[in-house]
This record gives sequence, structure tokens and C-alpha cells, in this order.
Amino acid sequence: MLDVALVSLIKNMSEKAGIEGAIQYWSRVGENLAKRIGEEAYMGWPSFNVALKEGRTAYSIEGNVTALTDLAITDVDGDVVGYIYALEECVFTPTIERIRYSVGEIPEADRAVAEEYNNTVQNTAVCNFCVIHQKFRAEVSKNITVENQPLECVQLANRGFRGDTKIATRSLEKIGINPEYVRSLLRNYACVYGILMKGARLKGKEEVD
Amino acid sequence: MQDARKANLSNHNPFVDVAAYLFLEDIGDKQGAAGMNNYLMSLATSLAKSMPKEEYSSWDDFLDSLQKGESIMSSFETVKCPTDYCVVTETCPFTRGWQEYTKRIGEFANIHREVAEYYNATVKPGAVDSQCIIHQTFRKAASERITVGGKRVRYAQIEAVTPNADDKRAPDEWLPILLDKAGVTETELNMTMRNNDCVWILYTE
Repeated sequence: MLDVALVSLIKNMSEKAGIEGAIQYWSRVGENLAKRIGEEAYMGWPSFNVALKEGRTAYSIEGNVTALTDLAITDVDGDVVGYIYALEECVFTPTIERIRYSVGEIPEADRAVAEEYNNTVQNTAVCNFCVIHQKFRAEVSKNITVENQPLECVQLANRGFRGDTKIATRSLEKIGINPEYVRSLLRNYACVYGILMKGARLKGKEEVD
Repeated sequence: MQDARKANLSNHNPFVDVAAYLFLEDIGDKQGAAGMNNYLMSLATSLAKSMPKEEYSSWDDFLDSLQKGESIMSSFETVKCPTDYCVVTETCPFTRGWQEYTKRIGEFANIHREVAEYYNATVKPGAVDSQCIIHQTFRKAASERITVGGKRVRYAQIEAVTPNADDKRAPDEWLPILLDKAGVTETELNMTMRNNDCVWILYTE
């Protein structure tokens, strides 16, 4: 109920605070959530991936996340510095369904917020909720270490409830993953992202900043 | 509403629930209990106003729709009606969100209770925490969008118990009137609250 109520306020919020204000608000929500969940430390990637599978990491709040262990991210020396992860269902899908059956339609401001985010922050949002979601992941990665190394999270691809997709081609090039392969992942998953050691010297064109 | 569809819609999403609570706490930090209360009430009213109006020719038709989950009054909760005017919510729709919050964040922040004290003192005594403010304001605003036999439906709160077992009953001076309207005795109310989370009434003038 709370989620549907918040969605009904998007229009109101974007009118009062402007689209940019709504983006800042949602970003702060994602940031606060990450901060409140706390810090984590893992001995290595296997222990992180097992924790993820068992729903023990901060990322597990999003639902069923699969570690695609066939898609390791390696550095220039061939060492594994991260993996690709895929979220089975967008966390907002149940909210969107509830809106469909209780209110009737998603506010127009939803697209407006997503478009503004794509134009001014990064071109990875398929709906306004992506703002919260992607900020949350980026901030959570700062609170987790693997082998005492801080992490970073890179948004790679996602599919919206309308069927539209976003593929972060540049980020994929940096980590050396073929965009078409990631596109095929969107048949089974709603959202694909990479978690890797911060500052890793990647095989791709340049390091992920 | 079909059971399968309803089950799907009741699927919880902890990310959204917990983020929403923190969003509200952010407002509480900046605007205090008074500002947060205003926000919660406008949130709930805005939600109700965004939902379609309803009209029924008879009270029985309305009760049928209510108990089947087809009315906006029961969009977010499963209800049953032990009498014509008494409505019982089996499980508070905020229970899952509250559980996710306490599991992943910790103890529910005090601001959620402080804002309820403000609401009880300035609006209507019936809330245990912020969740009740949203819920009860929504019910009031939603009831105003429904007519039965041409008359607008009215809502009044009798008792609520939150997921952490805090309880709020209507004030002693109001209770006999409300129970009379509901058609239940105080003993029956006590019995009902053993297995349910909220008791309220719907009626027309």
C-alpha cells in the first residue's frame, strides 16, 4: 500500500520540486537505504556469491539475484576482479501491478523523471524507480569489501515493464562483455549489473571510473 | 478479484517497502512530526483520490464487493464483515514491510510513533504509528468516493494493533457509540482482536 501511495505522489512531487528535485529525492532515498543496511566483508568472491545466493547480502533486498559465474570480470593479469549479476524480477514490478489494478495508470511523471535522469545523470533508466535502485546499488557496493578490497557496481542493462531496454554499451566495453550477450540475458532477467573491485585494471578500453 | 491475481498483487517487494519507510523518516527529520503528519495524510488522500469512484444500489452489494476485494476500500487488505457495518482487517497490509524493515535495518525509528502521537492529539485518536495514519486517512478519503443508494459512505476507526503488538483503541467516550454502530459488544471486539489486526466501521448517514 505504501509503495502505491508513494507512486501517486510522483506527479505532485515533480510539480513542486521539479523533475530534477524528484531525481535528487529518489537518489537520497537510495543512498539512505544503502547507508542504513550497514557494512559487509567477504574473504573472497566465492563467499560473496554464496552469501548472495543465500540472501545474506545487502543486494538481496532486491529479490532473487543470480551470480552469473560464467561471466567473470578479469583484469589485465587475468585475475577475477568481479562478476556479472542478474536480477530476476524488477523490484518494482509488484508495485506496478498493484497500481494497474488499484489506481489504473502510472503517472506521466514516471517517464519524465526517467528521461531527465537519462539526459543528466546516466542513460540507464527505464522508469523513475531506476533512480532509487541504481543509486542504492552504487552506494551499497561502497560498504562491501571482498578480499579487503572495496567494490563498485556498474549498471549494464535493464528491461522496463513496458518492454523497453537500456544497454550501457560503454560500461560493457570497459569490462569486456559483448553487448549482444547481455541483451540476450534480458530475456530471462530484468536487470543486469556488474560488481567488481574498485580501481581494478580492466582488459577493456579504460578503467571503470 | 481472482485469488491468483490477488496473491500476485500481494507479493511484497522489500526494497520498495524499506526505501519508502526511510523516505518518510527523511521527511520526519527535516519537517518534524507535524510536517511528517501532513505529508502522510496528503500521501494517503492523494492515493484515494487517484482511485476510481464507486456507486452501489444496496448495502448488500457494497458488502459483497468489499469482501471480495473489489472495492477500493479493500484494495490493499483482506477484510471480513461480522456484521453489516463492522469491518475486520485480518492482517495489516504494512506487516510485511515492517518485518522487512526490522529484519534489514533494525528497530523501527521513533519518529513513526512520535508522528502518531501528533496525529492522535491533533486529528483523531486512533493511530499507533505512521502506518496507521496512512491507512486510516486513506480509508476516510476512499469512503468519501463511494455511495450506496445515493448516500455517501462514512468510515470510523475502532481499534488497531500494529505488527509489533502496540494497540490503539478508540477513546472510552467514543467506544460505546462506535460499538453500537458496529453491532458488536466490547467482549466481541476483544475476541475479534485476538486474531485480527484492525476493526473499523462503514455506514451511511
